[in-house]
Amino acid sequence: MNGFLYGIALQWKLDIRSKSLLVACYTVPLIFFLLMGGIFTSVMPEMRSTLVQSMVVMCVSMGAFIGLPPSLAETYGNGIQKVYKANGVPIYSGLVAMFLSAFAHLMAACIVIALLAPVLFEAALPAQLPVFFLALAIYITVSLSIGSILGLLVKNQAKLTMAAQFVFLPSIMLSGIMFPIDFLPDFLETAGRMFPASWGYRLMLDHGFCLENLWYLTFVFFAAVIVCGVILKNQKLK
Amino acid sequence: MEPAIQVRGLKKSYGSHMVLNGLDFQIKKGEIFALLGVNGAGKTTSLECMEGLRKYDGGTILVKGKMGIQLQSSSLPAHIKPMEAVKLFAKWNRAEVDYTMLHALGLNEMEKKQYAQLSTGQKRRLHLALALISSPEIIFLDEPTAGLDVEGRLSLHEQIRKLKSSGKTIVLASHDMAEVETLCDRIAILNHGKIAFCGTASELAEKVGKKYVIHIKTQLGDSSLETDNIEDTLISLLGNLKQKELHVLDIKVARGTLEQHFMELAGRETE
Repeated sequence: MNGFLYGIALQWKLDIRSKSLLVACYTVPLIFFLLMGGIFTSVMPEMRSTLVQSMVVMCVSMGAFIGLPPSLAETYGNGIQKVYKANGVPIYSGLVAMFLSAFAHLMAACIVIALLAPVLFEAALPAQLPVFFLALAIYITVSLSIGSILGLLVKNQAKLTMAAQFVFLPSIMLSGIMFPIDFLPDFLETAGRMFPASWGYRLMLDHGFCLENLWYLTFVFFAAVIVCGVILKNQKLK
Repeated sequence: MEPAIQVRGLKKSYGSHMVLNGLDFQIKKGEIFALLGVNGAGKTTSLECMEGLRKYDGGTILVKGKMGIQLQSSSLPAHIKPMEAVKLFAKWNRAEVDYTMLHALGLNEMEKKQYAQLSTGQKRRLHLALALISSPEIIFLDEPTAGLDVEGRLSLHEQIRKLKSSGKTIVLASHDMAEVETLCDRIAILNHGKIAFCGTASELAEKVGKKYVIHIKTQLGDSSLETDNIEDTLISLLGNLKQKELHVLDIKVARGTLEQHFMELAGRETE
């Protein structure tokens, strides 16, 4: 196994040992799912048709915006990346390993939600599962790319927590997963469209996988890749 | 002997503050070479320029051989285990893990611990092991024993001596004079961004002129004096004591310490 693959496998193990990522990727989203799943389907039975998509958006947003950035800030903010560089490990390796490891953890948590929702709350599974999981993979990738910017850009953990909340809370509240987006005033509805959560949610809904819902996510992903590249290049030069 | 590293006219500034102002020195293959200086003298900057971790503004640096680097402030992910770090770095460097070297550095005793649980000494040994993974010919050590207790310090000194005896070139930055005096073949003293001295410890002692210190104990008490001419001073001193019928209870002749020589040189440079 080469260094790149070993680094990803090792990061997967480190993420399991690091309680904070586990909490953000599994514990909190799954508890939220168990509580809110019960409440939503009792109060609004029609939510059974979109429960899986709603809870998955919540889970991915939590893991990507709250879970990933602190690990990245630890690596790129306190000299770990300098040790890596000094010992022949490329500067991008930490980011890529953390990104892929978090992707795998989030996908696993989402699969648990998709498996449990029909059993516990009689929720409907997405009509086309392969398309749903493709849309989910796209949404996880885009969310993690935004989480990566946060982790690389904000080195101070207190500021990072605050910055993460500025992305996480609107993603949850304005994306339509908690209540229909039509209930929101126009300006909040527009603001909600700035965040990938609303686009990801619509992409994962039945018959939602179309260019209209995909273009913004693609744009955000490529923009995030460029921003991360610039940040890493600046770090390398320093 | 062929140089392992040649530094010519090295210049580096941070904003308007010039840290290195034309450094010239060379490091021979197989020697332990120390960069000495007070805090902020530019030791770490010089090392990082040689290591290729920091860009410099002027001059040339020629490094002949594979490098292993132990940084001054080193860190690893809190949950990584020492052997996992070793394997990760070995795989990236396409190097075989040298278990004999790891055993000699005591990595087996910390095998089950995570990085955050290691003592300062264990962390230092782990980072030294990581620096040695690619079997480098030149090893840079920045303050390698900072924060270590006496036992940890002596153990690391032993490892550094073993590396030298296996033909490695070692460059270390330190402000621990005693450590440098016991370990190093040659030293370079950095002062105000320039090399104030480059040579052996005894050459430094000759340069500053205070070569010998005589400590003498008689029934009147202790006294000490410094001299360049040890033979004449001793003959004259013992003659005087005999004349005054004073008995020598103890006498020691020492060459001044590197620390004293360093302070002397630094003082002159400041004047």
